[in-house]
Amino acid sequence: MSSWKSLLLRIGDKSSEYNSSSDLKDHIETCFGALRRELAHSSSEILPFLLQCAEQLPHKIPLYGTLIGLLNLEDEDFVKKIVEDTQNVFQDALGSGNCDRIRISMRFLTALMCSKVLQPASLVVVFETLLSSAAITVDEEKGNPSWQARADFYVICILSCLPWGGAELAEQVPEEIERVLVGIQAYLSIRRHTSDSGLSFFEDDESGGDIVEKDFLEDLWERIQVLSNNGWKVESVPRPHLSFEAQLVAGKSHEFGPISCPEQPEPPSTNSAVAYGKQKHDAELKYPQRIRRLNIFPASKTEDLQPIDRFVVEEYLLDVLLFFNGCRKECASFMVGLPVPFRYEYLMAETIFSQLLLLPHPPFKPIYYTLVIMDLCKALPGAFPAVVAGAVRALFDKIAGLDMECRTRLILWFSHHLSNFQFIWPWDEWAYVLDLPKWAPQRVFVQEVLEREVRLSYWDKIKQSIENASALEELLPPKGGPNFKYGRTDGQEKTEQEQAISADLSNKVKGRQSAREIILWIEENIYPIHGLEITLSVVIQTLLDIGSKSFTHLITVLERYGQVMAKLCSDQDKQVMLIAEVSSYWKNNAQMTAIAIDRMMGYRLISNLAIVRWVFSPENIEQFHISDCPWEVLRNAVSKTYNRITDLRKEISSLKKGVISAEEAASKAKADLEAAESKLTLLEGEPVLGENPAKLKHLKSVAEKAKEEEESMHDSLQAKEALLARALDENEVLFLSLYKNFSTVLMERLPDDATLQSLKSHGDSMAVDLEESPAMEVDDENGIPKKSQSNGGKATNIYNVGEKEQWCLSTLGYLKAFSRQYASEIWPHIEKLDAEVFTEDAHPLFRKAVYSGLRRLSNEL
Amino acid sequence: MASLFKDPAKISAYRDRRFNGTQEEFEQALLNSTTVYIGNMSFYTTEEQVYELFSRAGEIKKIIMGLDKNSKTPCGFCFVLYYSREDAEDAVKYISGTILDDRPIRVDFDWGFVEGRQWGRGRSGGQVRDEYRTDYDPGRGGYGKLVQKELEAQRQLVDYGAGSLGSFPPVMPPHYGKHGGGQGHGGSYRHGRDYHRKRHRDDDRYGRESSKRSSDHESRRTSDHDSRPEKNPRFRESGDSDDEEDDDRKRRP
Repeated sequence: MSSWKSLLLRIGDKSSEYNSSSDLKDHIETCFGALRRELAHSSSEILPFLLQCAEQLPHKIPLYGTLIGLLNLEDEDFVKKIVEDTQNVFQDALGSGNCDRIRISMRFLTALMCSKVLQPASLVVVFETLLSSAAITVDEEKGNPSWQARADFYVICILSCLPWGGAELAEQVPEEIERVLVGIQAYLSIRRHTSDSGLSFFEDDESGGDIVEKDFLEDLWERIQVLSNNGWKVESVPRPHLSFEAQLVAGKSHEFGPISCPEQPEPPSTNSAVAYGKQKHDAELKYPQRIRRLNIFPASKTEDLQPIDRFVVEEYLLDVLLFFNGCRKECASFMVGLPVPFRYEYLMAETIFSQLLLLPHPPFKPIYYTLVIMDLCKALPGAFPAVVAGAVRALFDKIAGLDMECRTRLILWFSHHLSNFQFIWPWDEWAYVLDLPKWAPQRVFVQEVLEREVRLSYWDKIKQSIENASALEELLPPKGGPNFKYGRTDGQEKTEQEQAISADLSNKVKGRQSAREIILWIEENIYPIHGLEITLSVVIQTLLDIGSKSFTHLITVLERYGQVMAKLCSDQDKQVMLIAEVSSYWKNNAQMTAIAIDRMMGYRLISNLAIVRWVFSPENIEQFHISDCPWEVLRNAVSKTYNRITDLRKEISSLKKGVISAEEAASKAKADLEAAESKLTLLEGEPVLGENPAKLKHLKSVAEKAKEEEESMHDSLQAKEALLARALDENEVLFLSLYKNFSTVLMERLPDDATLQSLKSHGDSMAVDLEESPAMEVDDENGIPKKSQSNGGKATNIYNVGEKEQWCLSTLGYLKAFSRQYASEIWPHIEKLDAEVFTEDAHPLFRKAVYSGLRRLSNEL
Repeated sequence: MASLFKDPAKISAYRDRRFNGTQEEFEQALLNSTTVYIGNMSFYTTEEQVYELFSRAGEIKKIIMGLDKNSKTPCGFCFVLYYSREDAEDAVKYISGTILDDRPIRVDFDWGFVEGRQWGRGRSGGQVRDEYRTDYDPGRGGYGKLVQKELEAQRQLVDYGAGSLGSFPPVMPPHYGKHGGGQGHGGSYRHGRDYHRKRHRDDDRYGRESSKRSSDHESRRTSDHDSRPEKNPRFRESGDSDDEEDDDRKRRP
């Protein structure tokens, strides 16, 4: 890498490029010196690289801004080009709704303003353009308030610039910036408060009490006001341009042309709440909230920070996570080396956990954050592991109120994390969960973490890892072997005959008989004599046993003898029996149960509807609040269905591209042919050249082939589109079935009159101790404030929610999680679901959970 | 996202010598593949462990365990096939270098599984890297195959007294020529997973705890026929030609 490149990249870092100096002024001078020398002959290389650095290392933007300011003194045209390119990038990003690029471009513009490359007034114009677009959006008459997500985003972007350039703006254009702030204040008074209870980490966040929690924009506004009252002083933002002020003022300010925000999307033509809800969902998908604060650490850990510093550090961290995904070393080193003069381990941990648990889903797969946490534990071995442990304890204390989806992610993360650190954890701290009822969320959490640990490792190893709390062994999963009904050891008389059939089948498989032969054998010799139940049980158990040695063995059996199962289990009832047989065979191994069912669905031996039915069968319903097992199976089934649809969509979009290029090729071939033909006509009357007919023939065949190609592309596109249409119909049926089942089981168990509040005061077994128990974070519709804070003391771990109540809470939690995760797939079917399931007859709490998961306005209830 | 620190042109530092095609074709195959190669695994790691870990990067289509071509037992590598490219990329990004079964595993793009690639390419049946290793790696069958061989030869020469057949000092053999390897044993694969696995696990743990090669684990090794090299090794003259190849994943200079 040329040295100017590495200087640009490493600017601000303590690195060998800068002789480990940490003086920013030195850095800028050194880098500027190098760039100045190169500018004459490699400016076309420097420019894009500089812009790339500014985009991907946004925490260094003040440094790049100052550098550009200095370059402006050397080469105005070069900097003019930078400004123009930035304008183009910014305008494109606005048009396409590229949130990160919009946000970072604006910060970059702010830095250019600080270093006198841009007039402050130009920046104010940008702010005003965005603000007026936002104001129109939320205007009931002229705009389209369902797109408030975008309007909010624009305003957040404006406010986000102020830590970087508020001081300069207030000094140089005080009236203009005041006008912008007044405009924002006005905007805040028209917009709706975003109460996204469907996305909050903790149930208690949604208490409709007196204290309405501020949404992200309101919170940021408050931080900015404190900043403004504080003379715009921010510790966390370096201000390198100040050291060069005397030089920079001599620079020429460049024009920044007008920008435009995209048009308001048309408001729904019908004035229905459903249409509004659909648009709101789309807007929130395109302009998602970047972070939600977990607030798991006591305020004392972060209170010495100014409110704005917290925001700035979060921005830094989120940007590093965004741009260094996949670059482990750089990611960890930038995370720990931010340009701030204070410690921020707690803030860093909280930010990463808030991403790991972010709803509806984090920007990257949870396993990415798992990796980052591991790497930070290694990068800061003295500080970070303890902070992570603190986060785990804090989340564990509040686990009963934690969203179900978050609990699942936390379990997966924690088990994986421990597997990378020798499974060391002070389990004795949590040994008390054994005294809690088996449905207590903390106990279930420990049990599920152990289950996942065993899957990642092996039973004996995990048993050994909990030696310091050996009582917890009770929560270990069973040792995991198969439960073969027709094994040779237990020779119960009754099953002798069945055992013989099983042995026969086993020999046939060993003798490599084909699926056909086995089907015939079953149809002729087994089924007629023993009937469905025995036949099904023996055949399925035996085949599962043959495939029990490993995942690959299972797949091999399913590939070879799946047809035997399919033939035997031709309808949904029998498929449910098949699943029940799988669950009985693997009753000691939740992982194999889930895998086997998943693969059977993969080979289309069982339908997703059969899986849903099995999940809602009585023996599973009893497990809803004490085990993740049925939910895992359900999650797999829905996600597999979703993956199939996603794949089809991908194929269709690439086919569409193919069709376009095939069409182009065909029309070009046609044009060539026509040109050649007309050329011939001109030559008519003259002796025809020998090669012309051949050439014509060739062109003809090319044109025909291109036409054929085009047609076949069209055909396959149509075929895929038909498949997609069918898949979407099936999806509708799946969600109908899923919701009907949820609705039914909840209706049976929730009291009619019912809020969970009233449920709680119902009888002794459900007595709830509001003062002490963190486990009680249930819906609080009457607005009674609850104590949700606990600090890890044993006294706060009293748990006395009744079993029935916990069942309802868990099931409603999973219902909400499913609705949220697949909201985009559910919204298109909402009319049908409204008509058939989300009706007046459904339980209000059922509808509340669904609505909140879909982020549908609850005033429709 | 980050393109600043990564050389996007460099997809892999490895080149499979058995890939039929040019370097360009190889790289193209890696760029489109949905298969990843996992290396430095313990012989005891099961498919289900791999499944649990790798399904966190996406839905898995298939797992193919690398097997010792003689003993048909796992020999420390495998292939995971995903349905989507993105998931394969995430597995490489997020799992490579992390721990599975107490070992840092390596995850790389692979050009695609074809029948035959599941077998170890080392002379003794396992992976080539396990031929020449001189360290004691309990997760991978103890010493490298050649060292095992050498130790076995010493054992036959020196009488250590009854009951201490294997308790020779665990020093590096001074020199070893190009002998063929005995057949070391890893986990017993295709039968009685749980019972066998459990026993092996215990052995494994013992070996790991005494990483300083105390006599404790040496004597233990004696009592466990499975981790001891077999007698009657197949000898080869050093000039013997062999189609032995480099490790299928040997790092290129």
